[in-house]
Order: sequence, then C-alpha cells, then structure tokens
Amino acid sequence: MGYFILEQIVNGVVTGSVYALIAAGMTMIFGVLRAINFAHGEYYMLGTFAAWYVVSKLGIDYGASIVIAVAISALIAAVIGRLVMQRLVNAPFQSGVLATLGISLILQNAVILAFGGGYKVFPGGWLDPVQFFGIGMAQQRIVLVVAALVMFGGLEWMVRSTTMGKSIRAVSQNPECCQIIGIDVEKVVRRTFVLGTALAAFSGALTGPVNVSLYGGMGESITLKTFAVIVMGGMGNVRGTLFAGWMLGIAESLVAGSIGLQYRDSVGFIALLLMLMCRPNGLFTAKARF
Amino acid sequence: MVANQDAILSVEGLRKRYGGVSALRGVDFRIRRGEVCGLIGPNGSGKSTLFDCCTGLQRSDSGKVVLNGRDITKWSMNRIAREGHLVRSFQKTVVFHSLNSEENLVLAGQMSSFPGLLSTFSLGPAAGRRLRRLRERAAELIEISGLQRVAHLPAGNMSGGQQKLLQFASMLMPEPELILLDEPLAGINPVLIEKVIESIREANRRLGVTFVVIEHNTDVLMELSHRVIVLHQGAKLAEGDPQSIVSDPQVIEAYLGV
Amino acid sequence: MSTTLDTPAPVPRHLPALRWTGALAVVAALGVAPLVLGGYYLHALIIAMIFLLPAHGLNLILGYTGMLSLAQGVFFGIGAYVSALLSLHFGTSFAFNLVASGVIAGAIALPLGIPALRLRTYSFVMCTLGFVVIAQTVAKNWISMTRGDMGLAGIPQPKFQFGSTVLNINTIPAYYYLAPVVAILATLGFYALIKSPAGRAMVAIRDNEVLAESLGVPTWAYKLVVFMLSAMFAGLGGSLYAHYMTVVSPLVFQMYYSTTILVIVLGGGVGRVPGAVIGSVLFVALSEALRITPELRMMIYGFVLLLLVFSVPNGLAPLLDRGLERLARISPVTRGGRTHGR
Repeated sequence: MGYFILEQIVNGVVTGSVYALIAAGMTMIFGVLRAINFAHGEYYMLGTFAAWYVVSKLGIDYGASIVIAVAISALIAAVIGRLVMQRLVNAPFQSGVLATLGISLILQNAVILAFGGGYKVFPGGWLDPVQFFGIGMAQQRIVLVVAALVMFGGLEWMVRSTTMGKSIRAVSQNPECCQIIGIDVEKVVRRTFVLGTALAAFSGALTGPVNVSLYGGMGESITLKTFAVIVMGGMGNVRGTLFAGWMLGIAESLVAGSIGLQYRDSVGFIALLLMLMCRPNGLFTAKARF
Repeated sequence: MVANQDAILSVEGLRKRYGGVSALRGVDFRIRRGEVCGLIGPNGSGKSTLFDCCTGLQRSDSGKVVLNGRDITKWSMNRIAREGHLVRSFQKTVVFHSLNSEENLVLAGQMSSFPGLLSTFSLGPAAGRRLRRLRERAAELIEISGLQRVAHLPAGNMSGGQQKLLQFASMLMPEPELILLDEPLAGINPVLIEKVIESIREANRRLGVTFVVIEHNTDVLMELSHRVIVLHQGAKLAEGDPQSIVSDPQVIEAYLGV
Repeated sequence: MSTTLDTPAPVPRHLPALRWTGALAVVAALGVAPLVLGGYYLHALIIAMIFLLPAHGLNLILGYTGMLSLAQGVFFGIGAYVSALLSLHFGTSFAFNLVASGVIAGAIALPLGIPALRLRTYSFVMCTLGFVVIAQTVAKNWISMTRGDMGLAGIPQPKFQFGSTVLNINTIPAYYYLAPVVAILATLGFYALIKSPAGRAMVAIRDNEVLAESLGVPTWAYKLVVFMLSAMFAGLGGSLYAHYMTVVSPLVFQMYYSTTILVIVLGGGVGRVPGAVIGSVLFVALSEALRITPELRMMIYGFVLLLLVFSVPNGLAPLLDRGLERLARISPVTRGGRTHGR
C-alpha cells in the first residue's frame, strides 16, 4: 500500500512539474499584463506538434527537435505578442479574455486544418526505463522533473540578477509607475509573453513522448488545469506555481490510482472551483509576486 | 429651519484601519435632524472613510452607526440607501454613462418607489403609474437644474459640470432624509457653485433634508452650515457653530491656517 | 423618451419607424423563405433561430449586467438533456418539455450562481469555464442517466394536438415555422425584460455597480436573477435543439456552443436585440448554409473576436443603425425636436 502511494506521488511530481512549468509562464504573463492568457494551453500544444513534426516528418533527432520546437513556438509567440498582446496593456479585462480566446481558436483550428483532426502518435523520445528508488520509469519522466527544477532555478536567477528580470518585477508591481520612469512596458510585456509561452512550448515538447498521442485540441484542458495551478499558487506568484503544480499532479495521480482514470481531469477543475470559492488569493498568500 | 434636537444619525466609537494606517480612531458624533452639518479636516483625516463606513461601502472595524434609531453598522449599501433613506455623493462625479438624464433620475428614484426587486420586472399598470410619477419628478428636476438642453444625451457625453448637476439631482430622487455630500463644489466654476449651494439650501429648507457636507471651500461651508464638525487624524477635534470653529485655536492650528 | 444606449445625437424622427419596418421586413422575408429556399438553407435558418435564444440570455448578462460568462452552452446543454430525458422517459409533450427545460436550467443556475457571482472579473470567467468542464464530465460519466458518450437518441419530434387534429412537426419546413414562433416569443420576452424598470437597473449595474448600490439597487440580487433568467433562455434553446436534432450527446457541452453564442452576441452587437438577430444570421445561418467546416468556422470566430477587441468593439448592429440613420436623414421631412445647438 505504501509502495502504491509512493508510486502515485512520484508520478504526481512528474506531471506536476509539467503543470508547474506551464503555469509559471501564465502567471508571469499575468504579472506584467494583468491578463489571463486563455490561449496558453495552445502554446503547449504548438510545442508538442512542432516537435512531433520535426521528428516524424523531417527525421531530426529528438533532442534537437526540442530546441527547434521551442524556437518555432517562440517565433509564433513573438508575432502574436507584437500584434495582439502588447496592445492589451491597460486594456479592460474583457479585451484580454476575448483576444486570447480568439487566439486560442485560431491556433487550435489552424493546427487541425493543417495536420488533420485525428490523433497523432509521437515517435521517439527517451523512453528507456530507469530505476528510481525501486520504481521503474521512463528516462523522459526524470528529465521532466529535472528540467522543471532547472527552469525554476533559472527564473529565480533571472529575476534577481538580470535587467530583464528586474524590469519584469517592476512592471508586475506597478505598471503605471514604470511608464513614467521610462521602462518600455510594452517591450517587457512582449518579452515576458514570449518567455512564458516558450516555457509552455518547452513542456509540450518534453511531454510529447510521454503523452504519446496528440491532437489539436489538447491545449484546452491544459489551459484549464493551469488556471487551477495559478490560482492555487497565487496569481503572479512564480514560486507558488511550483508547489501548486506538484500538489495538483499528486492529487490527480492519487485520484486516478484509487477512484478511476476517467476522473483524473476533473480534479483540476474541482480544485479550481474550490479555490475560487474559498481561497481566491491562493494557498500561499505571499505578498511577493516573485 | 430650526434644527430639531433628535439625532438622525449618530456614530459611536468608529474605528477603521487599512493595512498599517488608522483611518478612523474612535469617532463619535450626532447629526441633528434637519440641519446642514459641515465636516472639515485636513486631507487624510478620515472624512471619506467616515462616509464609507456610514453608508455601507466599507465595514468599520468596531463602533456603531445608528440611523433613525436603527443600528445600520452591518447593513449592506443598498439597504441603507433604500430602507435608511440615506444617499451619498462621491468625490469623483459619477453618473450612469449609458443612460440619459431622465433615465438616470428615474433609476435613482425607482428602488425607493418599487416595493421589491421582483416588482421591477413587471410592466403592469401599477408599475406604469410609478414610472409616470418618477418621470414627472425627473422632468421637474431636469428643469430646475437647467439640463433640458442636454437631457436626451447619454450622461457620459455631458460636460463635467452638467454631470455634477445631474448627480445632485439624482440624490434628491429617492426622497431621502439624509444626504452625505463628498466635496460637492470641487472642480466646478463659480456660477455653478452658487447653483449647488442654492439647491442644498432649497432641499434643506423646503424638503427638510438633513445634510452632511465635506468641503474644502471653507468660506462657503461656514455660510451654509448650521454646525461644523472638525476631524483630525481620524478623530473628532472639535464641533460647534461655524463662528466658534473658525476662532477655535486648535482648529486653526490643525487646519484653517491656510 | 426611451432609453438610448449609444446614440449621441438626437434621434431622427423617422429612425424608430425605419427600425420597425426593417424588423417586419426581416420577419416577412423569413416567412416566405420556404417557398424560395431549399431544405438545407432552411436548416441553416432554423439553427440560427435556435441559437438566438441562448444569445438573448448572454445579451442579458453580458450586455445588460456586464458579466462575461462562458457558461451559456452549459445551460443550453442542460435544456437539451432535460427535454430528451423527459420525452424519452415520460413521453411528455413538446410544450411541456420546452417550459420544463427553461425552468430547470434556470433553477440549476441558482446554486451555481450564488458562489460564482461573488467572484470578480477573471475569476468569474474561469469559474464559468469550470462549469463547462463539469457539465462535460457529468454528461460523459453519469451513464445511467445520460448513457454517456452514446447519448440519447430517438427524441420524439414535436406534436401538437388540437381536438381531433394532430400537427406533426417532422419535416424541415414544418420545423421552420415552429422555431420562429418560439424565437419570436422569446425575443418579445427579452424586450419586456429590458424595457422594464429592472432592465434599467441592469444597465445601471453595468455602468457603475457601486453607484447603483448607493442608490438602493440590490446589485447582487439582480445579478443572480439575471443569471438565472439567462440560463432559462439558454435552456429553452436547448430544448428546441433536442427536439430538432432528435439526438443529444455530451458533445452539446463542447466549447463550440458557448463560443458561438459569444460571437453571435458580440459580433452582432452586444446589448441590443437586433444585434443578436444579426449575429445569429450572419455567423450561424451563413456558416451552416455555406457548409463551412467547424474548424474553419472556429478560426473565423477567432479572427472575429480579435477584430471585435481591436476595431469594432460594439459589433455590427451600431453600423447597421448608422446606415439606417443616414437613410432617415435622406428623407426630406423636417426633424422635430432638435433643440440643441452647440
């Protein structure tokens, strides 16, 4: 029994790390733009699809495909950032909702139209099993957790030590003030947007082999789970998303393992609704946004 | 009109903190029915917060607010307005920008006129009668305020001064007993100032409406008020008739020196 | 004088007359359509009219009270399932199902609305999305009631009995006359709502909630009632849909429905009755008639949303209005009541 729970927890940390990475991106974007990116899951999907395309149609090695996938997604995000996202600075919240909804519709369906609506299979990946404390799991899963930790560490460093990081912190705390001081808020928004969505795309490329099947609409449920994670972690709070992500991942695994696999996705939504009703400020009401 | 001795509004020991700042540190006073009471004090002395706590926009941390003998400390804002017959203005002039002047005024009066939420959904004869009455009063107020020329415009398209007049007229629609005015003369030209002051005097004398007025234009306020209360750093510093307040050394030191 | 939502100049005398003529012309055109158009186009118009109902509902909460809800599809689906279950298990008549669907959808909105309406802006929108997912999950997994992904089939088509004559609505042209009856009744109901004092209160809440509260408007109570009413409209639409398609499955809870309703209302012109009609005809009837695939349709909706945010925030109805206004000014009759000169 203990072994069973341990296995669920380990699985949960793996999936949770993915959620955390994606959520970190969304929460950063919220921090600088005060807008929730309803299309965030689509960038995850783009990452997966780009990697899949590169590996299966162009025959490129998986490792390189991750880099290429992130690059492609970042490019698309840069265009969207310039055309749409930066114009949402100081816009009423409905504009943000509708614009990002629109983007999500366009991205999802463009992919379906381009590649067909059926499920695709992700070939390749680092799937050789490795023993971890007596639990066998694919190498890919360990890579996921390590990647998440590295990324979070990187974000922490970036925010403390680089100019970009400081600008992000400044804009997150007080956008009006920044415009007066002379910080180019729109540029910070664009860059944060590309960074945030790149994190999602990166996660997508990394989980392709683990998810195995991909389809154009896969981003939708990811977006909703990410909502749950950022609300739990506290909107705008990057550190919070790491722990919130793990919590969601573990909760999902436990439910899937004990009640049934088909209820796995419901955990996130129930968590979201409970959070919104009871603790809309998140589980860790840390005042610091980073 | 001689002010009656019974208190329409009494505030006891009101306290309110925001984060680390104490906005109100135990305020006590009574407003007498039928009077025009000025409320002055330096910026940050808690005047607007006091209004907020009396009208339900904010919840005080402790203390009591009693309106017409009823404890309204925990009442919701709309209940205080409807059942307490109390209305307030806001520092920033606000109107319903999509509705025209008549509609703004009808809306201001309709909740007091209709017996309940569900009755507002009806289009029957009773509702029709109420609306007719409301429209008549609205037309009167538009006439008195001189807004006829722009009455058909959505209120958002009117000038700032016109909106201010509309805001004032809106407060008279629900036939309130007590009106709290938050800087009614701020940012309007001298001609309009005269008009607003006249309206306050009219409403007070003819309709018997009690007023509490926050205003920085102290000359006007002293002329207008029967009594003045001075707030300083969240507590009552002094109260009395305008003459004694103006000559009170404490008050002069704290505020009136300017 | 009636409420003008956004006309900045005095209304030209002829404008209301033109508007009503336009409306009647549309109704007349719809009336003769079956004589001119083939089955598939009638189907497109029927679908448009079915969507008009949840669109009115969304107009109520979004256009009149300012709440952006993505859950209209949920109540639409609930209405569809209620009608399906009632007719399949109890053999109840269409009229009964229609009303029951509306009432039950409205009733379900109550426990959902009470916690949801405490939330502001984003949280509210996310919450409504959460409802969508919960509805999908329930529909897929409550197999004993909904038969899961297999759905409920064989829903009987409407049948009206007047004495000894029986009217079977089982052909597209027949349905084509039933749908507008329901749609027109619903539209009249919507009108009654917005012209009532409550309608004015809703606009006030949308414009400035705190100001409304300070004047005695119980904003939270109104929002809840309006939320329930909008769910009711959506439920009615769902019932019509179920009896038309004769099949209901969890697919009815897909985001496609909520999104379409959103695009209809915003694209047509939020907060106005003709807006919802224009939206339905343009986005639904046209896409059905042109047989645009769902994916392409959704992409177009995506672009429409972007356009709405950045260029045409008030939708198409004001543009149409402006056209009508210009028409009104062309006629050489003096415009009475023009009192202001600036």
